Amino acid sequence: MILDTVQNLLNGLRRSLAQPSRTPRMAVVIGRLLAIAFLLCFGTGIYSHFLQDPLPWMTFTTRPVFLYQLTQGIHITAGILCFPLLFAKLYIVFPELFQTPSVKSFPHLLERASIALFVASSIVQIVIGLLNTYQWYALFPFPFRQTHYALSFVIIGSLAIHIAVKLDVIAKHWRKKDSLAEPVEAAQHEGMAASTRPAGDGPLGRNNPLTSSPVKNAVDRVEGVTGRVFAWIDKTPPAEPRTSRRGFLTVVGVASAAVVALTAGQSFRLFDGSNLFGPRKQGIGPNALPVNRTAKAAKVGAKAMAADWALTVTNGATSKSYSRSELQAMPQYVVELPIACVEGWSQTATWKGVRVGDLVDSVGASGGISVRATSLEENSSYAVMKMGPEYVRDNLTLVALELNGEPLDLDHGFPARMIAPGRPGVLQTKWLSTLEVLS
Amino acid sequence: MTSIAVSPAIRRWRIALVVIGLALLALGGVVLLNDVDPKRYLGIAAWFLGALIIHDGIISFGVFGVNIAMRKAGKRVPLPVLLILQGAAVVGALMALIVVPEIMKKSIGTGNATLLPLDYAGNLGWFYVVLAAVTAVVIAVYLAVARGRARVRARAHHASGAGSTPAA
Repeated sequence: MILDTVQNLLNGLRRSLAQPSRTPRMAVVIGRLLAIAFLLCFGTGIYSHFLQDPLPWMTFTTRPVFLYQLTQGIHITAGILCFPLLFAKLYIVFPELFQTPSVKSFPHLLERASIALFVASSIVQIVIGLLNTYQWYALFPFPFRQTHYALSFVIIGSLAIHIAVKLDVIAKHWRKKDSLAEPVEAAQHEGMAASTRPAGDGPLGRNNPLTSSPVKNAVDRVEGVTGRVFAWIDKTPPAEPRTSRRGFLTVVGVASAAVVALTAGQSFRLFDGSNLFGPRKQGIGPNALPVNRTAKAAKVGAKAMAADWALTVTNGATSKSYSRSELQAMPQYVVELPIACVEGWSQTATWKGVRVGDLVDSVGASGGISVRATSLEENSSYAVMKMGPEYVRDNLTLVALELNGEPLDLDHGFPARMIAPGRPGVLQTKWLSTLEVLS
Repeated sequence: MTSIAVSPAIRRWRIALVVIGLALLALGGVVLLNDVDPKRYLGIAAWFLGALIIHDGIISFGVFGVNIAMRKAGKRVPLPVLLILQGAAVVGALMALIVVPEIMKKSIGTGNATLLPLDYAGNLGWFYVVLAAVTAVVIAVYLAVARGRARVRARAHHASGAGSTPAA
């Protein structure tokens, strides 16, 4: 009796939730876009991860100089784009939440569990990613970077399993012409109670499919409170399917365009004029550049401003120290390079300083060598940074002393900082203390 | 999983995808075990559970309620107008989802003047004003076009009716 009522309720929910926009074809259309966005986030995220924690054999390209700016901008923008796409996808498949019986078999249980894992990890991933761009770490009872990295595999793994489970449906509805006028799925009326029967001379019966039209799905329920509620719901004018589908796609398109256009300016200059909601704004900050970690937060103010500050460059037993004025006396180079943060914001700036190659040569280094740079900063996982030969020997890699025509601001790494092409901002070490040539 | 017969190609792809998926899930588990302190797992589980509860238990039923309200409103308001209004509400809600946390974090404080430097609450207000104006214009245009089409149809019907009058 109770089981019948619950099944009746679930069936009623599913039928009432059916919409012309809730079809397998629409799920495939939106699902494709969402999968592309997820894969873009995954690929660019893995690239960012290995730039920061490379495997021993890895080397990276330094051109184009905006490569990391581009990949991380795509990472963040595609992540924001996942909000409308993920919610659209969940909206389309929403009636499946009420499928009856809830669990038909052990494989079905695994399928539903994998979908629950996929949905939960996807929501958590994009939400913590967004909150990370606001640096709202207090909300995370876990380390952001490591959790975000681990979840990326969980999401892509569960996406692969989800695609595998739905592959026949995806193949069937991949092309528009193959999927018109398809019912949502085969009927599952076995559990319907005897108190329900097809509305009037409508098409529904025990062997009729659940369609994308709420009106066609309508059933008369002559008994019980739920029966009367659904009968009340079902007394509605029919929706015109084509209008509804187009309307749905238009809304998804407009929402996607809006979230991208109004936030992407933090990463792409093209959208700077429409940047109303990006957590960073190009040009705002000391030296007309945003700051990620201030000198105060890094607790380096006194050491960085000390009159006896010097950059120590070592190569085995050979060591030289350079005061800021001595660095300024060396050949100076001006480069245009973007600073691109792992949080997604980026901005191209003009940097002036000494080539890292010249500094390591001054202590007798030759050929392709790596360098370990140490910051005055303490208690930070980025206080020590390793740089491969592809960056050390790149003529654009500088120990920067000036930024945008002015001396480096303290918050930008005064008295000297690293700037190299195509690297994450966290590896552009600020408040430099030592450079050590690695064999 | 569906019980409908599938082609051998789909079966092969399905097996390959499941193997890849399970391998990636295992890799994610290994990364979690290696990189995240087990004391933090409870926090991650709480976020997962929270995501499911908020989505499946709160947002979904909110959407269900809106669906029903829309269907009932369909008796009095033309469907395209409802869709335009619903679309505007969806765009507005999505933007709130992204911007409201930003406003909250800004009000709490960032410790860095270049982080969240804009007037997000004001910008969101302006965004809603523009969204409302655009929605009103789109509805007005739709209604004008619909009335025009109805007039054309009525004239055509009238003309065809007159033309079909049998000769005396």
